[in-house]
Amino acid sequence: MSPIQQRFPAGPDVEVTDLLASLTAEPEGGRLKVGDPRIVDFIVKFARKLLAPATARRFPELASLGFFLRRGEINKALAGLETAGDELRFPRGLVFHVPPANVDTIFVYSWALSALAGNPNVVRISARSAGAAETVIACLNEALAEADPIVAQTQRMVTYGRDEAVTSALSAACDLRVIWGGDRSVTEIRKSPIAPHARDLTFPDRASFAAISVDGWANATPEQRRDAATGFYNDSYWFDQAACSSPRTLFWVGDEAAAQIGRTEFLALLGEVVAAKHFVVEPAMAVQKRVSAYGVAAEGHATAIHFNGNAVATIELANPADVPREWLGVGTFPQATLTGLDEFVRIAERKDQTFSHFGFQREELVEFAHALAGRGIDRIVPFGSALSFAAVWDGYDLLSEFSRLTTVTG
Amino acid sequence: MTATAEGVFGLAQAEREAALLPALTELTEHHRATCEPYDRILGSLGYARGAEFGTVEEVPWLPVRMFKHHVLKSVPDDEVFKVLTSSGTTGAEVSRIYLDKQAAGDQPRYLGRTLQAVLGEKRLPMLMVDTIGIIKNRRSFSARGAGVLGMANFGRQHVYALDENDQPDVEAIKGFLAKHGSEPFLIFGFTFMVWQYLYEVAREHKLDLSNGILIHSGGWKKLIDKAVDNAEFRRAFAADTGLTRIHNYYGMVEQLGTVFLEGPTGNSLYCPDFADIVIRDPETWAEQPVGVPGVIEVVSTVPRSYPGHVLLTEDLGVVHGVDDGDWPGKRFSVLGRLPRAEARGCSDTFSGGPVDVRTSAETASGGAA
Repeated sequence: MSPIQQRFPAGPDVEVTDLLASLTAEPEGGRLKVGDPRIVDFIVKFARKLLAPATARRFPELASLGFFLRRGEINKALAGLETAGDELRFPRGLVFHVPPANVDTIFVYSWALSALAGNPNVVRISARSAGAAETVIACLNEALAEADPIVAQTQRMVTYGRDEAVTSALSAACDLRVIWGGDRSVTEIRKSPIAPHARDLTFPDRASFAAISVDGWANATPEQRRDAATGFYNDSYWFDQAACSSPRTLFWVGDEAAAQIGRTEFLALLGEVVAAKHFVVEPAMAVQKRVSAYGVAAEGHATAIHFNGNAVATIELANPADVPREWLGVGTFPQATLTGLDEFVRIAERKDQTFSHFGFQREELVEFAHALAGRGIDRIVPFGSALSFAAVWDGYDLLSEFSRLTTVTG
Repeated sequence: MTATAEGVFGLAQAEREAALLPALTELTEHHRATCEPYDRILGSLGYARGAEFGTVEEVPWLPVRMFKHHVLKSVPDDEVFKVLTSSGTTGAEVSRIYLDKQAAGDQPRYLGRTLQAVLGEKRLPMLMVDTIGIIKNRRSFSARGAGVLGMANFGRQHVYALDENDQPDVEAIKGFLAKHGSEPFLIFGFTFMVWQYLYEVAREHKLDLSNGILIHSGGWKKLIDKAVDNAEFRRAFAADTGLTRIHNYYGMVEQLGTVFLEGPTGNSLYCPDFADIVIRDPETWAEQPVGVPGVIEVVSTVPRSYPGHVLLTEDLGVVHGVDDGDWPGKRFSVLGRLPRAEARGCSDTFSGGPVDVRTSAETASGGAA
């Protein structure tokens, strides 16, 4: 079995059996509890390092992470775990996290919530990780100097090669396995069995959408329209439109003729934002976009495709029900007009995750959610919030998933 | 258009474009009429049926990777004579190129006429710098194998320079040279193999290759570590083996029958009369001026059974000059692959998409039909 590289706490390579033995040994000072102050203090110190101006400037996504992990936010999240009556809440046990290689921060959210729930954790960090992930690990190791020793004992981030034996050993030992990174990762990791009592929390491939109310757009001020374009830009371009919550298809909801006017204006504004942000599309990505967009056309799902430079491509869908759900490349937006949100209800599938919106009334959105009735779409968020991670993700209340309830009836 | 045996590198740029434009326009119409997905793409882009083009540059291109994701063929199912696939490592995507009988016959004809420019009309004794295993083992039959097999047609009395264990067969090479070394002979192989298994062996054993004509392809990536570029390759062969007639070529499985051949003085590739290249600015996609690098578009009137007449490659290149080299037309170099597209995202599924899986040998078209 290949040795495991210890990234946090930084240390010499270990064998998986030794790693597991030390992780699960009874800690001095007692086992972790849900919302354990020793973990909360450590995470707050770590968050401060992420928010240091130099770090936050270099990796804006780490600033978002830092905000998410401030003491106030943590206390708010933990408050939701309080139980009453016969229920007592406890950590779930050893949690094994398998995050994706190409989003540098997912592993931190996943780990931090599980640690706050009081679990010992092993996080497998990809050998391909770079940039922000390296900074995260450096910040974690720095924060460790002032932390209670139980943090080092129970929280581990490791890297190992493509060794199924290590994955299998960690899988067999854990009480909960968290698999991010899409269908292929989930299927691959599931080849390693977990204990009968254990369970998987999986984050498979998802598709996300954006929608603008034609009436809402008509009634919006020029500033609101500009802000909508900026929010949509952030949602779409930050992770190359490849995050599970990045909007792909853009729907206009309302009158078709009025929608055409709004579309033209919105795309012009988006073009201005892209130009102002100096967003550069690498040639290979520009080619990828052609391959994808031409592909949608080749399959008969497009009536028109249009490239506004390399940064913004639009595809007019022949039928909104044939919405492409695969990634098409950064800044590639299939478009269609829907008569009402109820038309999307018929299109939605289980794998659909985020629906970002502009110009709708809250009541319309609540009614829409009721009509969807959980059959698809887990998040309905305003433009600009598509990528904001939350403790409820993919329909799971993560702190609840990371803990368990014992009932006592007297 | 037809290419004569003598004249395949005969047309100056203006004559070439004048001849290519109507042929490409006709081909575009032909493919629109016979390949529905292709017609849908052009229709979506706003090209009307019967559209006229002012220049070769204006004729719409397809990204070469389209052939990995879609069935693009311009012949009915029951006329498909052969489906060629680009090789790929396990699980990698492959291009599918559909040929009918006519196309399967045309393709080696065009290749033959192109190679005759440097080989003459007679079939020469041929040293293959590969292992016979590459064509024997059908299970791992690859673009490299197809290239070897296709090229074998242009020689006779073939001798393979590697044994079945991929080790240089020095005795076989010596035997070949003893028999044929005093008259013109043909050498074929992929660039890195020619360097590693022929040049190094010939230097060590002081073999005389001065009557050889070397045709090679496959890029320089594997030779970068050894600090070998085209100039060094030619210099070393000339100095240590006497081999001076060296012709690199560039072509791809997705445009079968068309190869862009290095001229006698080296360092530039030339387009046969039935083909052309356009170097495009990766920002605006307009044609780059001479001397400015960009993405290579390959243009050829050969593909009739699939819409491969105008393809945007994933290679970078530069035109050095027009009508000012060994042969008329554009002379150009290939500078390497576009770096692959990589995205950040929570999902891993797209990682199978834009990944560069082609081996260097795969950019070689070898006339497999």
